[in-house]
Amino acid sequence: MTQEAQGTSGTGTETGAGTIPEPDTEVSTVSADETAAVAAAIVATALPAEVPTDRGPKISAGWSTGLRWFVALLAGLILFGAFVLANGADPIQVYADIWTSTLTQSGQFQQIILRAAPIALAGLAVVVPARAGLVNVGGEGQLIIGGIGAAAAALWLTPLMSPWVVVIAMMLFAMVAGALWAGIAAAMRLVVKVNEAVTTMLLNYVALYTMLFLILGPWKDPKALGQSTSVELNDAAKLPVIAGTQIHIGVIIAVVAAFAVWFALTRTTWGFRLSVVGGNGEAARRAGMPVVTLILTALLLGGALAGLAGFVQFAGMEYKLRPTFGLTIGYVAFLASWLSRHKPLPLLLASVVLAAIAVSGNSLQINSGLPAASVNILMGLLLVAVLGWTSPRKATS
Amino acid sequence: MTSDAVARAESRVGKPTALLEVRSLTKRFGEVLANSDVDLTVMPGTVHGLIGENGAGKSTLLKMIYGVYTPDEGRMFVDGNLVAPGNPADARGLGIGMVFQDLRLVPALTVAENIALALPDGPTLKLRALSAKIEAASKEFGLAVDPTAKVRHLSIGERQRAEILKVLMTGARLVILDEPTSVLAPQEVEALLTVVASLRDQGLGIVLVTHKLNEVRAIADQVTVLRGGQAVLTSADPNDFSDEELVEAMVGRRVPPLSRVRQPVPASERAVLELQGATALGDRGYVALKGVDLEVHPGELVGVAGVAGSGQKELCEVALGLRPVSAGSVRVGDSPASGLGPSEAIAAGAVAIPEDPVADAVVPGLSVLEHMVLDGREVPRRGFGIDWQAVDARTTALDERVGLRMAPKKRTLASLSGGNIQRVLLTRELGQDATLVVAAYPSRGLDVANTRRTQEVLLEHRARGAAVLMVSEDLDELISVADRIAVMHDGHLVGVIETAGADRMSIGRLMLGGVA
Repeated sequence: MTQEAQGTSGTGTETGAGTIPEPDTEVSTVSADETAAVAAAIVATALPAEVPTDRGPKISAGWSTGLRWFVALLAGLILFGAFVLANGADPIQVYADIWTSTLTQSGQFQQIILRAAPIALAGLAVVVPARAGLVNVGGEGQLIIGGIGAAAAALWLTPLMSPWVVVIAMMLFAMVAGALWAGIAAAMRLVVKVNEAVTTMLLNYVALYTMLFLILGPWKDPKALGQSTSVELNDAAKLPVIAGTQIHIGVIIAVVAAFAVWFALTRTTWGFRLSVVGGNGEAARRAGMPVVTLILTALLLGGALAGLAGFVQFAGMEYKLRPTFGLTIGYVAFLASWLSRHKPLPLLLASVVLAAIAVSGNSLQINSGLPAASVNILMGLLLVAVLGWTSPRKATS
Repeated sequence: MTSDAVARAESRVGKPTALLEVRSLTKRFGEVLANSDVDLTVMPGTVHGLIGENGAGKSTLLKMIYGVYTPDEGRMFVDGNLVAPGNPADARGLGIGMVFQDLRLVPALTVAENIALALPDGPTLKLRALSAKIEAASKEFGLAVDPTAKVRHLSIGERQRAEILKVLMTGARLVILDEPTSVLAPQEVEALLTVVASLRDQGLGIVLVTHKLNEVRAIADQVTVLRGGQAVLTSADPNDFSDEELVEAMVGRRVPPLSRVRQPVPASERAVLELQGATALGDRGYVALKGVDLEVHPGELVGVAGVAGSGQKELCEVALGLRPVSAGSVRVGDSPASGLGPSEAIAAGAVAIPEDPVADAVVPGLSVLEHMVLDGREVPRRGFGIDWQAVDARTTALDERVGLRMAPKKRTLASLSGGNIQRVLLTRELGQDATLVVAAYPSRGLDVANTRRTQEVLLEHRARGAAVLMVSEDLDELISVADRIAVMHDGHLVGVIETAGADRMSIGRLMLGGVA
């Protein structure tokens, strides 16, 4: 995995242990990809598919639950502090930097919200399949394919149609592309019974190389200097921004999508059936439910939501495909979904928290000389601590 | 070691000291009083029957004796000495052995290896010497077991004998048998009771936990009845009580016997369920159902008997369209000639009680109410979702009709006991006007009163004109409710017997693969 990930950076710079990373964002983002991917893989393999129901037995409500959360978060912070100390920096200073860089500057706060939007959408791509007991580790690839879909719509339709039609088309293309990409994993699960956690993860690499093929070849912008990219999106087709802010409407799309998913999962027959399939597939089969269709729709909708994240990232943030397009969003979103126990509304909060940690990585690099990707370690530690210490205990009969 | 144990046991014969004496044991779990002031005395050379409903406190009492739980109050004496076993190893050291319902043997190992695991025999395995010891012991106690056989290849009855031998070889003088007959065919029950009798004659003390009165009658010298954590009868002579009185002691009220009056099965041209040469693979890929021909007509209740794992599960699943047939055919009502699936069986009017409720029907996080819509029938809709108010009303009506008093609708199934889960499924499935009822072990986990009510509901379906197929491991239950009994052995339907005038022993021979 190391070789592949570094090969894609296009720089060929080695980031060996002990060497001081150059102030090159690409290098640090590549290692960020690795840590996040490894964390995601560990979570995917080490934990049983936990099926959320919103109806589970209420466990030890009240202060003890709150205390466990507090202790878990504290443990994560202490472990990361030890890591920082081992790398010769001052943990107190680092935490102070994270605090001031995220919460005390209004521009930073908007950056956090902008980062959180695609994380939340890609997180919903984990939430929906999780309801059916499926583990979608493929948000990363489905998001990239969504970006490719959006870019294709922009490339082909911009000369032909008005900008707002192009925006709608980009969105639809992205969602369909993401759904089809997830559909490959769904088909493999249903036909040849390969676990979707494995296929979705491996398809992430196929998606990445597909994008690299396009921007190094057929879609390469002839005017791009240095790094290969696709042609930048026409200004008129970029997502509009809320007046007086940097916040584009992708943020609103993410919030609306979270509420829509919440409604679909908790208030519709389809959502109820998904939770039956996820809770006990045999019971669903015996009740005559269309289990195959339910699994298929859950994964396809998940893929479409990740594709939507790719659209928001493309039309709202990056405006063109490049080797680092959407990098790590899918994996961070996976962590966000697990942190929120696969519930759509808490997911919004988890996305903002993880986006804040990610944004604070820059200040870490500037002030403490730690690589920006160090914050991924913090994310991973928080996730493991929270999952391990606050998991509902199995109810006994 | 074993001969020592016997010598010790023999030396006790005739002495008045009790092998085990339990005085005023009390155990609380939070608010629940699991055992309250329970006394129990087991003399050497006697069999003590311990009976009671589920939740009466039998397991708690046994676990305190075996050192798993520490009593809150009360005292225990072994051979007249005050003891307080802190864990099962302590209990074994005192000569107390326990044969669990789910036998604690490793299937991949031989009998000798399993026994070696239980013996504190130093760092090296001396299997050959051990095998000789086992053979000697198995002769001594009258327990025929081949020490070199892999446990996985043994029948349930043989495994049980191996387990008992294991317990005896660790030096047990008091053997506790926890519902040992619930999984056995009648002949195997006979064999087990013979073993128990021979152990008793050698001076050992036996505690036999059961809920079958005929076993108490057959072998117990004394009987203790637990109800609601209290001993209603303590060390009584079973001959002083009638069956009705013992049941009343267990249940707390009179349970009238099931009415023997039945409408005759109406003559009908066409069966509701028809299997012709039905053959199907089991979960592990081998053929588990072998060319079964069976018809169940309207107004008929057909019982299915057989040793566990003889193809009953596959028979039920084939009849419900849950398992495809690899040869032959299956039809439910007017279902299409080919390809009966679960939805087709449900559409044809089939309802089902699954063999393994927790694995096949329980979604842990969902509530009782939410489970009520998992029957495959039309669900009341409201907007995009389910009209839970309508479901609630319907559920109340079902509960009244079936009369098994389900747990509150808001409870999650994960928080319910096996018996309560069973009542939820029975209410959901048997509350409907089905044309075919396929019930696998319907009274699993139920107490005497609810078992009786379930049998009545099944007979009500029969009287209404439904076809009922019922699997049970309790031959007496089948004989009391079924019109015909289909006997299975090794995937074959080896015989169908009219219940009127049926003979338990001849059914038992069929179950074991013999000729009626």
